[in-house]
Amino acid sequence: MPRAKRGFKARRRRKKILKLAKGMYASRRTTYSVAKRAVFKSLSYAYKDRRLEKRDFRSLWIVRINAACRAHGLSYSRFINGLKIANIGLNRKSLAEMAAKDPIGFEAVIAKVKQVLP
Amino acid sequence: MKTYFPKQEEIEKKWYVVDADGAVLGRLAARLADILRGKNKPTFTPHMDTGDFVIVINAEKVKLTGNKLNKKMYERHSGYPGGLKVMNARTMLSRKPEEVIYLAVKGMLPKNILGRHILKKLKVYRGNEHPHKAQMPIQLEIKEVYGA
Repeated sequence: MPRAKRGFKARRRRKKILKLAKGMYASRRTTYSVAKRAVFKSLSYAYKDRRLEKRDFRSLWIVRINAACRAHGLSYSRFINGLKIANIGLNRKSLAEMAAKDPIGFEAVIAKVKQVLP
Repeated sequence: MKTYFPKQEEIEKKWYVVDADGAVLGRLAARLADILRGKNKPTFTPHMDTGDFVIVINAEKVKLTGNKLNKKMYERHSGYPGGLKVMNARTMLSRKPEEVIYLAVKGMLPKNILGRHILKKLKVYRGNEHPHKAQMPIQLEIKEVYGA
């Protein structure tokens, strides 16, 4: 049986970590023991933030929709309530996009909503 | 589809004039902060300055409710022992009315580099005059300023 030296596996393992540490500051990029800690932390941040991303964006859309509605004298909550009554199924993402890029289309939605609101 | 983020050159910045005569300080500051940050626009972006410029005139005529003229204290410290300077709102309003509005708005903006940058778009003056005629600012009524 041929002899297997253990240096090979160890080098691969360390290189894997150091590759992920590219772009970090100082010894976090160069030193394995420090880089390992930094990479583990960064991966856990990445995991958390992939989940937070969805909430962050939703709240941004809501802020934008609210701003657009208030320009037409309607608060966000009344607007969303009106959408429900008027059976308009547009989600917040597309509503925010409309508010920013297609004000005329958004105004049409507002007009529909205002009709059904008491 | 990606969420819309404006480019720096796409952001249109208007100029507004607000008359602080008879306005309540905190309520006024809250609306000013929103306009300065751009929260009244559908293109609001948290990491960018999307807001407009605001000129406030008649700063010395701003109103404080309750007993705040006597009780609200403005404190600053020079860093030396015994270097605390205290002023109540009444003296502050008579000496530095601009500062009263600046400080109120500053407290309602984000405490970071962007927040400090945004505050620079607020121009406050005592009296009826302001030196920004060239920007052709639009008059905003107090009622509008308080929002829908």
